[in-house]
Amino acid sequence: MNRVAVIGAGNTAFKARHIDKTFPRLAYEAVKACLQDAGAEHDDVESAVYGIYNDFFERCAMPDQHVHYLLGLARKPAVRVTNGGATGGYAVRAAYAEVAAGLHDVVLVVGVEKVADLANVFEMIKSIAFAADPFFEAHYHGSPAGSYGGAILWHMENYGTTEEDMARVVVKNKGNARNNPDAQSPMELSVADVMGSPKVIHPIKILDHCLSSEGAAAVLLASEEAAARFKREPVWITGIGASTESGRQAERDNVGQSLFPAVRASAERAYAMAGVSDPAAAISVAEIYDAFSGVEICLYEEFGFCGWGEGASFLRDGRADMGGSNPVNPSGGLIGGEHAIGATGVYQVAEVVRQMRGEAGARQVHGADTGIAQSMGGARGAYSVTVVLEG
Amino acid sequence: MPMADESDPRVEPMKEQEGFAIIPDRWKVDFLASMGELSRFYIELKENARLMGTRCPQCGSLYFWPRSWCHDCYVDCDWVEMQPRGSITVFSRVEISLSDMRRDVPFFQGGVQLEGARYPVIAILKTTDPAALKAGMPVRAEFLPPGERTGRPRDFYFVPDE
Repeated sequence: MNRVAVIGAGNTAFKARHIDKTFPRLAYEAVKACLQDAGAEHDDVESAVYGIYNDFFERCAMPDQHVHYLLGLARKPAVRVTNGGATGGYAVRAAYAEVAAGLHDVVLVVGVEKVADLANVFEMIKSIAFAADPFFEAHYHGSPAGSYGGAILWHMENYGTTEEDMARVVVKNKGNARNNPDAQSPMELSVADVMGSPKVIHPIKILDHCLSSEGAAAVLLASEEAAARFKREPVWITGIGASTESGRQAERDNVGQSLFPAVRASAERAYAMAGVSDPAAAISVAEIYDAFSGVEICLYEEFGFCGWGEGASFLRDGRADMGGSNPVNPSGGLIGGEHAIGATGVYQVAEVVRQMRGEAGARQVHGADTGIAQSMGGARGAYSVTVVLEG
Repeated sequence: MPMADESDPRVEPMKEQEGFAIIPDRWKVDFLASMGELSRFYIELKENARLMGTRCPQCGSLYFWPRSWCHDCYVDCDWVEMQPRGSITVFSRVEISLSDMRRDVPFFQGGVQLEGARYPVIAILKTTDPAALKAGMPVRAEFLPPGERTGRPRDFYFVPDE
């Protein structure tokens, strides 16, 4: 397999609504920033992969074709990836495979999402819920909060994790977002502020929720040989692991202590590929999928930053903070930064690339040399992709 | 093609917001969906208030929800009637619902594993004593009366089995 480099990264600002921009325009702005970053022209792009999650969000069943043509890439190959919250991660993986296999040398990955063209939040959640198993579970109109809530409850009951711990994640991530000029929701909050926000489904409150964002992100991948033609020092994708689970939220095989088996498997696969044997020592920065605050606590364990059941103490000890041993979500993550669903996994990679280059500004983790980006989607993290990047 | 009715947003004029054009639109798609090889589940539920699962003849896994083949053994499963009893695996109180279930909030929803079943299923829990609900609690299925059953999974729910 060819080595695969990220040679460019760009994104729009993320907002609850870009009323002034269509989804092709958002994609164009991210791509233009990405190509400028790489010192590339759109003619250099040989193939493109689009991470666009939900047809209802874009009001179009083949949104990628309209973006691809307007990017001036007609007659070049294109494919759309749609895997729920893992859309962006799987889009990066599809592009990685094209370069690694030698099919193309320069491949563009674009993640883009509108959401606020849906008439209201009810229509948005309804559009997401259409992902449920249509034969059985769909009849219960489950929500993402319900699907993840069960895992969080299990963690609370078995490990003593509290709602205050969940609130600490929110305080951290909304606080980190203050260092990210593209973030949607920078806030200075206290644990009490989070605890006082209205409950959606126990134990999840409104402020424990990820954001709902519009925006776009793009990264340019290249083979080692092609990367030398462009101006930027390559950041290497040294590991990429993907995995899956049942798309039904109540249905999981017992695979040890993992609450998110697809995440664990994607991490193990990516770590093995990158030669990471001690993640707590090796991973200097992580942009991972804090769909809900309690999920991030579970993910510290899935990624091996601490042992099973130690997620809450890992957080309380400040190890996930900026300045901690393994800073998690310096961008603000999905809770403080953005969650333009199809863009998220691409944006996470762009953020880790900036960290590897030392270009992350006020959110820079000093001395960062190995980072991970991880996104997941479907019922309770049924699909997951973990990307290991090294500067 | 039926004509759009008066409430159809697709015939409403454009609106303006902050100087941008906002076009009202709607996707409305109706289905008549075949449940295919799974049909017996829905028919037995509606007609006879029975919960039908399936069993793998090779490894013995008992599936509820039913599946027509075993994903481990790659052989067809046999239909079996489930005992309408099981236990709660996890549950929560739903405060906000965006579907027709919003008329029932707050309500309890959770996972229930029927006796012998390999996996839990999502389920509605009904109780007169919410404080007593706990994981591991035995529950039994109750069914809507025949005239109210529509052949959909929410024709049944679970109550504490005391």
